[in-house]
Order: sequence, then C-alpha cells, then structure tokens
Amino acid sequence: MLEYILAKYNYWIYVVLMMIGLYAMMGKRNLVKKLIGMNIFQTSIILFFVSMGVKKGGATVPILMGDSHGHGEQLIQVADYLNPLPHVLMLTAIVVSIATTGVALATLILIYKRYHTLEEDEILAIRKEASAYKTLGT
Amino acid sequence: MKNWFKWISLIAVIMTGALLIYGTHDMPAWGDPNSPANSHVSPRYILEATKLTATPNIVSAVLADYRSYDTLGESAVIFTASISCLFLLRRIRKEKTSEDK
Repeated sequence: MLEYILAKYNYWIYVVLMMIGLYAMMGKRNLVKKLIGMNIFQTSIILFFVSMGVKKGGATVPILMGDSHGHGEQLIQVADYLNPLPHVLMLTAIVVSIATTGVALATLILIYKRYHTLEEDEILAIRKEASAYKTLGT
Repeated sequence: MKNWFKWISLIAVIMTGALLIYGTHDMPAWGDPNSPANSHVSPRYILEATKLTATPNIVSAVLADYRSYDTLGESAVIFTASISCLFLLRRIRKEKTSEDK
C-alpha cells in the first residue's frame, strides 16, 4: 500500500493542482482570478509531463558528458540521462501559456476600459441593461 | 443563484478529479526507467543526438534539430500573440487621444 502511494502520489498532486485551477476558472467571478486559475491549470500539466520523464537510479539532466572531461568517447547509457522529450514539449507549452496569458491580459485591459469592472456578473448586468435600453429604443 | 452555480462547478471539478485519480491507477510508477514514455523514442534521442547533431545538450538538439518545425510553429504562436496584443492595446491609445481632444 505504501509502495503504491509512493509510486503514484506525484500524479495525485498534479490532479489536485488541476482541480484548483479548474475550479478557479469555473467558480470564480473575477476575470483575473479566472486567468490565474488557467495558469495554475497549465502549470499542473507542465509538472505532470516533466515528472513523466523522471528516471530513478542516478539519472542526470540530458546533457551528455564525455569529451569535456578529456576521457574521450564514453559509452552512453540510456538509463543515465533523463527523458529529454517531455522537457522539449513543455518548453513549447510554456511558450504557448505565456502567449495566451499575454493576450488574455490585453483583453482584460480592454474589458476594464469599457465596463470599469472585472467582475463577471457586473459586466453581464451592464450588458443586459444596455440591451434592454436598445430594445426600448426600437 | 450564484451559490448554486458555484456548487455545480465544485461538483463537476470533484468528479473530474476523481476520474483522473482513478485513471492514475494505470499510469506507470513514478521514476520507472522502463515506462512507455521513457522507452520508445527517447532512447534513440539520447544515443544518437551527438552523432547526428553534434550537440551535447539533448534538449536543444531535439528542440532545434529533430523537431524544428515544432519550434517554427511555436514562433508563429508568439508572433500571432504579440501582433494581437499590439492591435488590442493600440485601440486603447487611440481612444485616449480622442478623449483628450
């Protein structure tokens, strides 16, 4: 039982982080809090992928050693280096998350300029009022 | 009405989390060197990266050599985001100047 927990607890931590982010995106009314929730969600996915590349038993970062030590060509053991593929994929994911965060913050600036609030229900009330006025006018 | 929606979203989140924790039952153990993620493509990268790309850093070899089209698309993403930020924020400046006039 303890072995099972030790083998799986990292996934559970990422699931809990993802739940926090998902709840912040769905349940919170402030748009900045929603954005922060999206960032927490993305961070949990990034951590999950990086943890998939971990190898126990003395594996180091995927930078090959050998020539710089003057020992000449060493035999490369696969088990000595971490899996480089999740690291590469998560570099791309970090870039995408930065891009989405930037565009979302710019959009939030525009929303605040127009409605002078970032609370979702207040914005919806203002929009409903405006549309009621429009139907009254026509 | 708002509390009702919050409870609904909390229930949905907890159900998603329970499903995902149930799904981790089939995941390989943490740090397993023979897990599927560690045993299909990545051994080839580790063994042949220096031979094929002359780069000791495998991450940058994969990023800029094996998967350079991916990196090209990534730069397209950054370009699109920066252009859209530019247009979104430029409209504000125009409104400001029109208000000043």
